[in-house]
Amino acid sequence: MDSDSRLIFEKGYNHPHNNFIPKMDIEYENIDDLIPKTLQREDLLIPDIPEIEIVRHFLNLSQKTYGVDTGIYPLGSCTMKYNPKINEVIARLPDFSKLHPLQEENLGALELIIELSKILCQVTGMDGFTFQPAAGAHGELTGLLMIKKYFETMNLKKNAIIVPESSHGTNPASAKMAGFSIIKIRSNKDGEIPIDLLKYAMEGDNVAGIMLTNPNTLGLFERNIKDITKIVHDYGGLCYYDGANLNPMLGICRPGDMGFDIIHLNLHKTFSTPHGGGGPGSGPVGVKKEFIPFLPNPCIIPNNNGFQYREYSENSIGRIKSFLGNFGVLVRAYAYLLALGAQGLRRVGEISVLNANYLQVQLQKKYHAPYNRTCQHEFVLSDKNLPNDITTEDIAKRIIDYGIYAPTIYFPLIVSGAMMIEPTETESKASLDNFVNVMLKIYEEARSNPELIKNAPHNTPIKRLDAVLAARKPILHD
Amino acid sequence: MDFKVPPDLKYTKSHEWVRLENEIAVMGITDYAQNQLSDVVYVELPKIGEIFEKGSIIGEIESVKAVDEFYMPLSGEIIELNDYLGNRPELVNSSPYDEGWFLKIKINNPSELDIFLTAFQYQELIQGEENQ
Amino acid sequence: MDFIPHDKDSIKEMLKVIGVNSINDLYRDIPNDLKINKLDLPEGLSEPDLLRKLEQLAHKNKIYSSSFLGAGCYYHYIPSLVEFVISRSEFYTSYTPYQAEASQGYLQAIFEYQSAISRLTGMDVANASMYDGSTALAEAAIISTIITRKNKILLLEGIHPEYLEVIKTYCWGYHIEYELVSEKLLFSKLNEDIAAILFQSPNFFGEIEDVPSLVKKIRKIMPKCLIIQVMTDLTCLGILKPPGELDIDIFVAEGQSLGIAPSFGGPGLGIFTAKELFLRKVPGRLIGKTKEINGEKEGFILTLQAREQHIRREKAISNICTNQSLCSLAALIYLVSLGKTGLREIATQNFQKANYVKQKLGEIEGFEVLNQKPTYNEFLVRCPNINKFRTLCKKENLLPPLKLTKYFPDMKDVALICVTEMNKKSDIEAFLNAALLSIQKTKRRD
Repeated sequence: MDSDSRLIFEKGYNHPHNNFIPKMDIEYENIDDLIPKTLQREDLLIPDIPEIEIVRHFLNLSQKTYGVDTGIYPLGSCTMKYNPKINEVIARLPDFSKLHPLQEENLGALELIIELSKILCQVTGMDGFTFQPAAGAHGELTGLLMIKKYFETMNLKKNAIIVPESSHGTNPASAKMAGFSIIKIRSNKDGEIPIDLLKYAMEGDNVAGIMLTNPNTLGLFERNIKDITKIVHDYGGLCYYDGANLNPMLGICRPGDMGFDIIHLNLHKTFSTPHGGGGPGSGPVGVKKEFIPFLPNPCIIPNNNGFQYREYSENSIGRIKSFLGNFGVLVRAYAYLLALGAQGLRRVGEISVLNANYLQVQLQKKYHAPYNRTCQHEFVLSDKNLPNDITTEDIAKRIIDYGIYAPTIYFPLIVSGAMMIEPTETESKASLDNFVNVMLKIYEEARSNPELIKNAPHNTPIKRLDAVLAARKPILHD
Repeated sequence: MDFKVPPDLKYTKSHEWVRLENEIAVMGITDYAQNQLSDVVYVELPKIGEIFEKGSIIGEIESVKAVDEFYMPLSGEIIELNDYLGNRPELVNSSPYDEGWFLKIKINNPSELDIFLTAFQYQELIQGEENQ
Repeated sequence: MDFIPHDKDSIKEMLKVIGVNSINDLYRDIPNDLKINKLDLPEGLSEPDLLRKLEQLAHKNKIYSSSFLGAGCYYHYIPSLVEFVISRSEFYTSYTPYQAEASQGYLQAIFEYQSAISRLTGMDVANASMYDGSTALAEAAIISTIITRKNKILLLEGIHPEYLEVIKTYCWGYHIEYELVSEKLLFSKLNEDIAAILFQSPNFFGEIEDVPSLVKKIRKIMPKCLIIQVMTDLTCLGILKPPGELDIDIFVAEGQSLGIAPSFGGPGLGIFTAKELFLRKVPGRLIGKTKEINGEKEGFILTLQAREQHIRREKAISNICTNQSLCSLAALIYLVSLGKTGLREIATQNFQKANYVKQKLGEIEGFEVLNQKPTYNEFLVRCPNINKFRTLCKKENLLPPLKLTKYFPDMKDVALICVTEMNKKSDIEAFLNAALLSIQKTKRRD
């Protein structure tokens, strides 16, 4: 591996090598006649770098990066499943990738969105979708704004929303951006929402409803889900479903049937589109019939003959992103859904739950599992039984030494030193067995050789980094 | 854990301390608060000359794992800031009551000080929080 | 195809280890009446059948050989190495680099992206990306109210109409007042209550604002009011003075023009930059350089995370989590592939070609160029018969320019024309010829 750690900007030469611009074929005018000198820049500090240097530079960087294609990526609530290669091929078909968002001959793209909409309605039990939101949190904001609009049109002042502590991490910040204040509800000892506290919270005149993740971030299914949505509805509230954890429910049960009014999905989690190192994603929002008028403008909505393009609706929350969303991501998700079909989707749900329980049962022999229950797609361990003052972070760093990625750590906040583990359905038994072996071995090391773990990782290009220094004296560019 | 709670200072429930020097109040955050935050990386202070009511949010303390707001302990005008915190926010951790002070306030109404906690009361407060 | 590696035996063994008889037992927490038997969907497809089906679907879109349409999404050449590098699956199948030691490569790349954007824009700080130009601008508006503790923003006419719609939605959600003002009225509307002025340059109509004089006037009246600029095609910065040299407080942009395919409008790239002063109010992820705790080696790490939604919850600056990382990687590779020489050349060609077409069109009887200020690669033209003109373009296999009535119903017969380095001389001739033909036919009918 290349040990050259120089930044790309240090690999430039003094004369240009590359030629990525068509040959100029009209006469040049003096540029100063087109734009005043005072508006022109003097220098541009991006060096001219030969193509081979650029390719080698980034190839080397890729080799210092861990992806799903490297090995298991057990980040809880992130659903790091395999990203099928055919989807990349399809998304890059020039008839998709070169399509301009404002051009008229776009029937293939619109049909794709319509068909995707139909499938997602079937999968979730909802009646219509918008694809504008670019990510899960963006979908949350969209859904919450729809709730806000709904009550505004009824002239009701509902500016608070219930967010259980076991809900997805972005929920409180999304609620704030939509102008809601937050009512927190603690989980009970089973990791579920206490019905009495929910009723008490719904007593407030200004409560618009609840944001719920089910299965929640503890990986547990809310057994009282039907009561929960009924209570909220009885008090005149609405139920919002955060689809971050939809994967284990595929083909088994549907948020629409649980009583949810508005939901969002993460195509980059459940429907296999690549996470890309943090994005792009797509966070479509699905609604029950009566909320279709509130979907963002423009939108593709169901009608008697199927679906239609709707430019404008009076009660719409308005636009939430330019154009029609992250279309390239929609193409991949659509291809995935077609490849799987009804049976495949159910198998995804089932095997994701099988894999998670297979890990949980074996790991909780050594590690502390605060909720001793059958989990769904993920489960949470705590730092409670760790010997010799070993921390969750120490464990995570040592996992990396074994050539695999660490789980989500220190989230959810309700579990001390949480390790949140989601293997997904695409990990084989052999891969899971390896993960169990590594985790058990690390536990043994924690007992016998704690220093080894406290100083981990040892086998990486760099050792543990100073996060305090990074935040005190931020260096954000070269 | 044991946290320093100097007996000559006044305390708030939001973990600020105040030292009164005639009409001037000096404020900072307590040893317990800095410990809860862990390594402080940045303190956002108000500007000199700004006037606030008691209880207004006047700044933020950022650590690696949290950002907390702090509040105006007494109504008045900001008259001096601890300029060292800009380059050395770690002073809040190493010396919360001394070198890590935040700012000075010219106070309007000394009687506001009556409802502050004594060192003894504050000690009880943090013990309560610790036990939770 | 379900991409699941298990066979029957391994499932059986796993169930045994768990201590249950069937997978159904693992769903015991779900009430029976919520369980469904089967989704009403077709059976799955094989890879070749899937490819064929989607190729046929894609074929229902029409891709033209040359385009005169822009309006926020642009055709520029994308060097082959851009797609090559972002297709490395270590990059595109990775997650947000939470574990720095296992993600040094990508972290360095994003640090380089932040650096490249700083170099291009002259701004002190660039974040790791936002969703797109419109949401970057809307979040800038929100942040301006947090920084200034004021609650109203002014929007200067000329901002992309879809961006305006997005800002309106965000402002309504966040309870921010906004007002759309013309340049003439801008200064009279400026007062103590204004958190920020937002403007686009080059604006939606293609015009390059006289930013130095605009900024000077605003500063003179209200020195503390934030000035926020947005841009939709960054290639102009190969020639234009960067916002960082013009005292802009927050600069945001759509980065699609930097090596990202149009893809029907997404995924693109939201670029967010600010002055150093506002560093801790910047939304989203930031990558910083630091050192090993017990060593001297330098490395890269997600930093200032305490501001973010997963830690600060409802007090966070923004709720953004997933961003557009892979697109920022593409933009970085694009920028370094072109280099300063290429970036200057591309800006030059866009200036030259667009202004050439503008001039030639203006010479055709009945066509009227509506721009008063200098333009980059887009401009407004009133056309005698816009529908015929556009139809003729299509016949020549040219993607016709935008009809402005899409966004401005009153501006009939006006086209927003975009010309880039991708329009060869023969395309331009065909385009001008279509314009000529459009009036000839009209005349004949008269």
